[in-house]
Amino acid sequence: MATELAEGGAKVVLLEGGKRVESSQMLAHKWPYELPYRGLRGEKQEPYYQGDVKESVRYDDSDDVGVDRIRVLGGRTIHWNAVALRYAARDFRERSLAGIEDDWPLSYDELAPYYERIEQMIGVCGNDDGLEILPAGKHYLPPIPWRCSEHILHRTLQGMGIPMIPVRKAVLTKPYDNRPPCHYCGHCMDGCDVAAVFCSATALLPKALATGNLTLRQNALAREILVDREGRATGVSFVDQTTRKEETVHARIVAVCCATIETARLLLNSRSPQHPNGLANSNDAVGRYLAGHLGTGVQMYIEELEGMKPSNQDGATDHAFIPRYNYLFGKRDYAGGWDFQVNFSSYMFPHQATMLAGYGADFKARVRQMQSGSLQMGSFGKVVARPENRVTVDPNRKDVSGIPIAVVHFRFGENDLKLWHDSNQSIAEILSKIKGTVFFEPGSQPGGFASHEVGTVRMGHDPKTSVLNRYCQAHEVKNLFVTDGSAFTTSSEKNPTLTIMALSLRAADYIKEQRRRGDL
Amino acid sequence: MERRTALKIVALSALAPKVSAAKAAAHGSMESGTAWTPEAYKLEFFTEAENKLLDGLMEMIIPEDSHSPGAHAAHVSLFADLMVATSDEATKAHWKKGLALMQVEADKSSVAEALTHAAALAGQPASELGRFFGALKEMTVNGYYTSEIGIHQDLQYVGNTYLSAFPGCTHKEHW
Repeated sequence: MATELAEGGAKVVLLEGGKRVESSQMLAHKWPYELPYRGLRGEKQEPYYQGDVKESVRYDDSDDVGVDRIRVLGGRTIHWNAVALRYAARDFRERSLAGIEDDWPLSYDELAPYYERIEQMIGVCGNDDGLEILPAGKHYLPPIPWRCSEHILHRTLQGMGIPMIPVRKAVLTKPYDNRPPCHYCGHCMDGCDVAAVFCSATALLPKALATGNLTLRQNALAREILVDREGRATGVSFVDQTTRKEETVHARIVAVCCATIETARLLLNSRSPQHPNGLANSNDAVGRYLAGHLGTGVQMYIEELEGMKPSNQDGATDHAFIPRYNYLFGKRDYAGGWDFQVNFSSYMFPHQATMLAGYGADFKARVRQMQSGSLQMGSFGKVVARPENRVTVDPNRKDVSGIPIAVVHFRFGENDLKLWHDSNQSIAEILSKIKGTVFFEPGSQPGGFASHEVGTVRMGHDPKTSVLNRYCQAHEVKNLFVTDGSAFTTSSEKNPTLTIMALSLRAADYIKEQRRRGDL
Repeated sequence: MERRTALKIVALSALAPKVSAAKAAAHGSMESGTAWTPEAYKLEFFTEAENKLLDGLMEMIIPEDSHSPGAHAAHVSLFADLMVATSDEATKAHWKKGLALMQVEADKSSVAEALTHAAALAGQPASELGRFFGALKEMTVNGYYTSEIGIHQDLQYVGNTYLSAFPGCTHKEHW
């Protein structure tokens, strides 16, 4: 959004609650024994969780879910696995096609040109696999070759009629846009030291700054959005995290991109006589319809690969992807589906050692032997957006800047649990066809959200039940835009980031057009 | 396998306890620019006697063999001392009591037999000794396979480097 508007000639101030982490400060390539707690306490990602961001949320009457609110320049794009998937046409039409939730106020066809543009801006590797459930772009970089375990999984899935494709990731497989290609270290989630993984701070912000139109203000934590007598946004008050001083910036248009939980928090904390229930929230929809992903992880060791000479398997973490397939096998008694990511972590640590029974010399030798046979799969399943699942704020508990913290209330619903049980049965069936050792204990309840939470400031046609229109513009406050995951009307099984970025580009185009016409 | 491993791996940092930079630096780290050395390490939580028992138990869980050194050579008991010293009070109490129970068992027969006994109780959540075996094994695994010996000598891991291209699977019999 900032880059698009700055390149379009607008004067933009970007308020970032965190600050830049330079590539020299990244710990991705550190060996565990070079870190104080061997990396087991999240030390590699710690630089991305600045200030008191981890403490400024609490869970109330919630199932076992976790929301992830990173605070760093670049936001989530500095700490992500870079899986870049388009939503399918059907994902925008849950009400019409599945009879649940609401349809989005825009269609796939309307968003498709923006998907195409953003894929070219960030660089995505993959293939056009000709799948309706996972529409493809026209300009992918070459896909990443598969490991042996992925070929074996593919062979198995072919026999079951389940498609498996090269993953589509915002990881460069050749030089692109003055960025170098991936060096296959397996540390995508820890921050990419060469910017081969797309990060807005390294790939887009320099372009915005080069226009001379962007003022970047780091360590600026937004407290509330200010309004005039008519209730229109006039700017933002923020707390400088280094001086603790309260400051204000004025603007004709305010665009909020703080991610799903923080955006709801900001709007709910922006109370005024004109908006007593929080900004753009006269219908009490802000904070509601919190959704995201549920999922299960499974680890197996393939017998035909065990005992092989150690080789470098790290790669760019996932190289293969299994798109949603349950709709291919008849009607289910629930809506939605799941997909699988495959081999999504570094091969350095032998996970089997934490799950294999026994101890002693035989145990140690067995761990060693199994290591080359590793196959890891993780499901991401749809969670139905329901109004009772919501984010509120706690006026009695404030962060270090005196801003009321976010409170998450979330329970999985009947559809979620049915889908999760079906996905677990499917995992077990797939892996039973591969000879080896499977470690799979899904437990009695799913986990969520894998940092994929969406939906608290949702778009919709009806201003009575939604906050934003089809351009991510607030129904009640015409100069307020929200372009992060909170704008999603519904969640699908697909990772949300590419859709967030496409929506943001579309909103930026709309703002430019409205400004040209003098309507905004 | 603990449930939701996939999600936990993907969202690791969201779930991990916050690291105190000052505490971390005191133990040798990227902040201080110093490497951790076992010689310079002073026990912070366990007594010398407890550390000796722990070291012996850990070496039995991952022993030296003809392929590579074990937990003793990798100083895993010192890693355990640091981790427990920086944990909450309940975890500290669990380790104190667990080691005391192991010592009682060992006094009846031997350390090896005490470990065999504890391992046999591992699946029984009501057994304190069984629960302690779980924590002991997990700590040994985590400490050993994140050590130089575990990573480089035992697993002979060859990643965490810069490749110009990823070759993928070159064994077509697997395709």
